[in-house]
Parts: sequence; C-alpha cells; structure tokens
Amino acid sequence: MRWLGLVVVVACALALAVVLGPAHVPLADLATSDVVRSLRLPRALLAFLVGGSLALAGAGLQALVRNPLADPSLLGLSGGAGLGAVLAIALHVSSPWALPLAAFAGALGAMALVYRLGLVGGAELDPRVLILAGVAVGAFTAAVTTALVSLSDAAELRNAFLWLWGGLSGASWDSVLLLCVYAPLPIAVLLAAARPLDLLALGEEPARHLGADVESVKRRVYVAASLLTAAAVAVSGVIGFVGLVIPHAMRLLWGHRHRPLLPAAFLGGGALLLLSDTVARVAVAPRELQVGIVTALIGVPVFVLLLRRWTAN
Amino acid sequence: MPPSRISVIDDAGRPVALGQPARRIVSLSPAVTELLFALGAGDRLVGRTTWCDYPPAARQVPSVGDGLNPNIEAVIARRPDLVVLYRSALNETAATQLTRLGIPAVLVRQDRLEDIARAARLLGRLTGAERAGDSLGSELEQLTGSVRPDPEHRVRVVFVAWDNPPVVIGAGSYLDELAGLAGAANVFHDVGSASATVGLETIVARNPDVIVVLRDSATAEPPGFTRRPEWRAVRAVRDGRILYLTGSLFARPNPRAAEAVAEFRRRLEESTR
Repeated sequence: MRWLGLVVVVACALALAVVLGPAHVPLADLATSDVVRSLRLPRALLAFLVGGSLALAGAGLQALVRNPLADPSLLGLSGGAGLGAVLAIALHVSSPWALPLAAFAGALGAMALVYRLGLVGGAELDPRVLILAGVAVGAFTAAVTTALVSLSDAAELRNAFLWLWGGLSGASWDSVLLLCVYAPLPIAVLLAAARPLDLLALGEEPARHLGADVESVKRRVYVAASLLTAAAVAVSGVIGFVGLVIPHAMRLLWGHRHRPLLPAAFLGGGALLLLSDTVARVAVAPRELQVGIVTALIGVPVFVLLLRRWTAN
Repeated sequence: MPPSRISVIDDAGRPVALGQPARRIVSLSPAVTELLFALGAGDRLVGRTTWCDYPPAARQVPSVGDGLNPNIEAVIARRPDLVVLYRSALNETAATQLTRLGIPAVLVRQDRLEDIARAARLLGRLTGAERAGDSLGSELEQLTGSVRPDPEHRVRVVFVAWDNPPVVIGAGSYLDELAGLAGAANVFHDVGSASATVGLETIVARNPDVIVVLRDSATAEPPGFTRRPEWRAVRAVRDGRILYLTGSLFARPNPRAAEAVAEFRRRLEESTR
C-alpha cells in the first residue's frame, strides 16, 4: 500500500511537471509540442533524478555518520563545487559545459580532502572527524569563493551565486543522459550497502562482531554518496533540504531498515523535487522562484506533520 | 555682500546647502563621474569609484573603492567639499554619516534617463555650471520624449543578463527604456523590476526576434549558453540572432544616451537584416 502510494505520488508529480508550465500548451498538443519535448520533459526527468540522488545520498550519509543532521552539503561538497564554478567564470572559460564540469571537479576535490582528513591514523574512517572536516572544508571554500567574488571587477561573478543557489533551468536531454549513464553505479553501491548499514546502526563494534566489514562499508558509502551528490550539484547547483529531510520522512513511514528505506528515499526525494520545481516554474510566472525555497516550503510542513503523527504514537 | 548660498533638495528629499560651488568632489557612481565631466567640472573631481571608467580622464582621479556601501574613511581622506552618492538605503546611512562629519552629501537617483536629466540640473547648480546643467538636462529630456509609437514594426528583443538561471531585464531598467528609444520592444516589459529570473520556457513562448547579451568584458567569443542544448529551443538562438552590448556606453544610464540609442539602433538593424 505504502509503495503503491509513493509510486502514485511520483507519477502524479511527473504528469503535473509535464502538463503545467508558464507557456500555454494545449493538452492535445502535449506530445508534439517543442516546449514539452525539449524543455519540460528533460527538466522533469532531471528534477526526479537529482532529487532522488540527493535523498538517497543523504540517507546513506546519515546512517554512515550516525548523525541525524548529516546532509550532503555538510560534507564540504557544495563549498568545493562553488569554488570550482566561480574559478571557471573568473578564468573566462566559456565552453557550454565549463560551469558544471568545474563544479564537479571542485566537489571531487573537496571530497578527496575531507576523506583524507577523515582517515584517522591513515586507515580508519572516523565519522565524527569526517563531519568536522566537512564543515571546516566547506567554510574555508565558501570564504575563498566569497572573497573572489567580492574582490573581482567582473559583474559576471556575482551571478555565479545565482547558479550556485540551485535550480534546474540548465536541464537538457544531454544532462539527463549524462546522469543516467553516471548515476546507476553509485546508486547500486548504496542500495547494496543496505544490510551492512543496518548493522552499522547498532554501533561499529557490534556490527564488526556480526560480520560486517565496517571499514569497507564506510568507505564505499561515503564515496558513492559523495559522487552522487557531486553530479547532482554539477547539473543543478546546491539544492538544500531534500537530502536532509526526505530520509527522515521516509524513516517515519518505512522504519529504520535500509532495504526499504533507501529506495523509498530515492522515490520520495525525486517526487519532492519534481513538485517543488513545478511550483517554482508556475507560481509566479513569468518569473521563476528558486527551487530551494519551494523544497523547504513544501517539505517542512509535510515533515512536521509526519513528526507529529510519529510522536503521537 | 553675503556669499550666495546654493541650496538644493536631493533625490532622497534631504536639503543640502553649499556656501560656494563645490571645488573638491568625490563621485560615488560612474554615471555621476560622467556627468561631472560632461558639465566641464571633471577637474574638480578628487575621488571616484573603482567602476568609474569613462571618460578615460576619470581613471586619473584617485579611486576610493566601491560606490555602494562606500568606505567613509577613504572618502574623507580626499578632503571633499561635496560627495555625490547613488540613492540607496545603505548609501542614505553613509550620507548621514558624512553630513554629521560636516561634509555635504547628495543622494542622486540614476536608474532611468529622466533621473540623469534631473541629476544634470542638480549637479550643474552644485558646481556653479547651471547653464551647462540645464542644457544637458533638457537635451536628455527631449530624447526621452522622442519615443515614436509604432508597435507594429518594433523589433522584439530579450535582454539576457545571465543564462543559468535565465535572468532578463524588465521595465524597471534603463535598458528597457533604451530599447524603446531605439525602436525595439522588450518582451519582458511586463516585468516591473529592473531584472528578474524567468523560465527558459517563457522566453521560448515569447519568441523574441533578437537576443541581447550584456557583458562587462569585450571578447570575440559568443557566450557559452548559445551552444547549450536547452537554449537551442529559443528561435533567435537557433537563427544566431544575438547582439552584444558591452562597455560603459550601455552599462548604465549616462549623458551619452543619444549616442547609445543611435548605436543600439544601428546594431539592431544589422542583426535583423
């Protein structure tokens, strides 16, 4: 029943995203419309993939660091991506893919740095150190980015923040295809880690006694979640909230077992970002809202409702 | 005979009085710097912003940094007897601080051409160049009054200030005014603010004839977004009808507006031929 409900929500969100938009497209012309084919449909699919990836990465990271506040942006990735993007603009790289590629490179750089700092004694990945390293790297890259932007003479740089604050207006079939080729591997790695993540929730020692290869699981989950987030940031900037709250919301509905939780988080995150992006496109047309505002406006009340229901039981 | 005092009301409604025409002026906006040179008072400029790049002689004047949220100490260090600021909430605080320190400060609105016309008259009075100020003021007013209503034949343009997310220029901007004067129509004239984030889909639906791209540096290369697949949905991008506006002539409303209009009109004709 719950699964059916979730799938219906995803399907409705997808249908709404294709039917609604600031340009008027009669229902009869949906299949032939250029606006639908080259703009709405790829954007809807990208929103679903990005939302799903962020929520799945968030669920994995929360289990890994055993901290409910863990969020892909807490691990320094968005800071690194921002620095990469701003550098690309500052150096006048004008290739159409310069911004996403530079952001991706920046996110990977930050990931590598945080990972290295998180390795205690050169071998063991300590979750607490990982979070602290992530926050430190994030703060440092953000400071460098802001300094670059405010000291530069190029007004173009100020606009880099617009991109960084997230949005799906760069969606095209190319970016959808890119994510479809890239994302399955990290997604599969995360889904396959469901059982060891359940064990890890008991604590590292008990998990080890129950036969989990704790060190390898932690590494795999961290790298897969980071790679997934880096790709999401590269195609859509930093979209907050989805990776933090969707995993919690799904935990309230599906419980703490990761085998159902991880796929549910993927579908739930995809649906939330799809709905939010549709609202962002339509609500104040011809203007467009920032999708991060909408994810919070829709997501928080839903989350509070679930929280109330859960604490009432 | 008592000294003839100059007293004016600035665009924030603050009364400002000078004992004599200003001799040491700090201009905290590029448009004001241009205006002062146009009024023949360029040699009285003792401070400018980093962004003041026209006329070339302006670059010889020492810079005091940014014009928005200015560095008050750097301004005072130039020992000005008049400071001219762009009118904004932050700058009103700065103007109050300067006045408290005994330095007259005027806040000048400069978002539209009519603002520049009014500023020309105001600065003319403050520098003792009243006649030059009035003649430049009426010249600019004549220009703004010269829009011919022939909506049928107007080239429809969109001003793209940024591509991801798409940020376009609306009716609140000087560029919207410039388009009207050059015989074009901004397809986002219904957006009241100076600029706004809009959906790419809306740009496709409004189907402009020409894309006008604003850039602050002149490079030969077209901007990357014109090669992005999602932007190919816009007809003017597919047809390569893209026009670039760079440099100080188009960056802000300024006393060279007539030149800007003529240049924009010429470029529009070129790109739609």
